[in-house]
Amino acid sequence: MDWPILMGAVLYDPRVSVIWDIIRNFYEENHCPIDTVFYTNYELMVRALVQGHLDVAWNSPLAWLDAERQLGGGCRAIAMRDTDRDRVSHIITKAAGGLTTIEDLRGKTIAVGAKDSPQATLIPLRWLQRHGLEPNRDVQVRRFDVLVGKHGDHVGGELQAFQCLDRGEADASALLDLNWQRWTRDGTIDPQAYRILTTTAPFDHCCFTVRADFAHEREQEFLRVLFAMRYDDPKHREMMDLEGLKAWVPGRTIGYALLQEAVEAQHVFDQ
Amino acid sequence: MNPHTWRLRISATGGGQATVYSRQHQFRIGTPLDFDRASPTLSALEYALGALGADVVNGLQLLARQRRVAIEQLEAVIVGELNNPLTYLGVIGESGHPGVEKVCIKVYVASPEEEATIQRLWQEMLARSPLVHTFQDAIRLELSLQVMV
Repeated sequence: MDWPILMGAVLYDPRVSVIWDIIRNFYEENHCPIDTVFYTNYELMVRALVQGHLDVAWNSPLAWLDAERQLGGGCRAIAMRDTDRDRVSHIITKAAGGLTTIEDLRGKTIAVGAKDSPQATLIPLRWLQRHGLEPNRDVQVRRFDVLVGKHGDHVGGELQAFQCLDRGEADASALLDLNWQRWTRDGTIDPQAYRILTTTAPFDHCCFTVRADFAHEREQEFLRVLFAMRYDDPKHREMMDLEGLKAWVPGRTIGYALLQEAVEAQHVFDQ
Repeated sequence: MNPHTWRLRISATGGGQATVYSRQHQFRIGTPLDFDRASPTLSALEYALGALGADVVNGLQLLARQRRVAIEQLEAVIVGELNNPLTYLGVIGESGHPGVEKVCIKVYVASPEEEATIQRLWQEMLARSPLVHTFQDAIRLELSLQVMV
């Protein structure tokens, strides 16, 4: 008998472990046992994947790039949530703040999330660079380094960046489209008082990553069970709602190009 | 005098559950901690916190009866906090421990008696409570009383 597939995930809140318990039970019921190992940050998990201690890692987009870099391209993105595809980040501003174009940010201040947050820092700052605005030269950056190492998963820095804008201490802030939707719905952000100044190009978010030498049969078995989850099955829906997806889809890497560009421009892995 | 002891038998029943047998009673307990709101069983931590809260509430009720002090309603809210629950989950790279760091108990008493009477009762209950004495020597235990006359 094969050993259970060993899967890694970064855990920042104990309640998130419930999601992984449901997934593990589902795999068990479908005769493909998995064990989960939790890490406090992506650096430790990527190291474990690179060293072959893990079979599958639930990687943030930045962790995917890091794994690919450390393995010299010797890894695969095998699956992701439907909601991981084609995400965008918004740079928002006060509706009455007088800023109408991205160029209006010149000489102003933008609040961003943690230094390793793809959606709230790296990609929005790259978006400014693409439009000729160099962070900390043409635009002042106020960064909210909350729980660095967790790649902005917990949205704490992203929220503090918005609160900074709300207090009038910044002229704009950056956030993921899903958080804009959630926070304008739940009252965190008054949609009448704030508006989207600019939206980045699309990018992809998390993915299940395996090393290139992960056995093909085991990968197919892992994916068979994953893709068997159905949103219209009430037993699966709870977990899928918690994880924010309607379906698991095959992994792809074309959606990491913008982040790759940001990582190189901002020398993220050189630090 | 030989020390009085309490002997309980705890039998694992599978699925992360155990049955506790004590005297002619039995009850089931789930995992040490549980983060799932929909879980069918209470965790060991919830039993421990519940036991502490019940010690306070029942201790006060018992004393009130002994001292002929009228209490119309009595309720407590207990909030427990661990040092770092992620260490219980074995999260690699986390520091600290899974032990209880702090417990806050707020007791609400509705009584027609004078507040000073209830306060005296409260102090006596604290002095005689087995679990308050145990916990306050081990963790940060914050107890407060609100009397609604």
